[in-house]
Amino acid sequence: MNENLFASFTTPMMMGVPIVVLIIIFPSILFPSPNRLINNRLATVQQWLIQLVSKYMLSIHNYKGQTWALMLMSLILFIGSTNLLGLLPHSFTPTTQLSMNLGMAIPLWAGTVVMGFRHKTKASLAHFLPQGTPLPLIPMLVIIETISLFIQPVALAVRLTANITAGHLLIHLIGGATLVLMNINPVTALITFIILILLTILELAVALIQAYVFTLLVSLYLHDNT
Amino acid sequence: MAGHDSGTQHQFTGIKKYFNSYTLIGRRNYVLLTYGSILMIILGFKMRKPKKEVSQK
Repeated sequence: MNENLFASFTTPMMMGVPIVVLIIIFPSILFPSPNRLINNRLATVQQWLIQLVSKYMLSIHNYKGQTWALMLMSLILFIGSTNLLGLLPHSFTPTTQLSMNLGMAIPLWAGTVVMGFRHKTKASLAHFLPQGTPLPLIPMLVIIETISLFIQPVALAVRLTANITAGHLLIHLIGGATLVLMNINPVTALITFIILILLTILELAVALIQAYVFTLLVSLYLHDNT
Repeated sequence: MAGHDSGTQHQFTGIKKYFNSYTLIGRRNYVLLTYGSILMIILGFKMRKPKKEVSQK
């Protein structure tokens, strides 16, 4: 039972060859590149969606921050599509792997911090001390702010990993319970099945929300440093 | 966020001009002082350690 629960989180192999790279690349082929002035319906919907998201996400940024537009849009599309594809039965979700999420979070966070230190060194250093701090609290607060800065990429990665992994585990558990209860008590199995449907709808929402939260936080870190 | 300098309403003189928790420069200097102090403490302990081992031998 325990082995079955975590089997979907192991590295996927096909005839002994790891295919995790193919799975990570796969969502990109679902997004066609618009190459005409007026495109087909799928490309038009995709363009509209990207314009809608970028309008709200990039409105807070200045010129320097808006140079990250492509990065942020790619990030939200990648995480969103990966999370949604992971809700298909028997599929592998790359965003359940902490290594992958740390691989996204740390370079992006470090990029914003380095950019901040390079272009606004004084303001970046001054950020470690909130305005109006009383004198006795200054050393402690500087240390706390430093720790909270270094916690940011870890929190980004762990938030995404935990949310997606927990959702998938819950679906496994409740789906398994529904199957077992069908022979024991069909009425309870029906209730469990309804819970499973509601949970799946929740997981659809969580998949999109987590992609948005990840990208929004990276965008906020960028805004603080530009 | 809380990073912008509202130090124009504060008029500091002397050492307070460079070390205060209101202006950008004051906050930066306090942060650098804190990091410098921590570094000094660590270096002090590292330099003390070989002397302790020599005296025990």
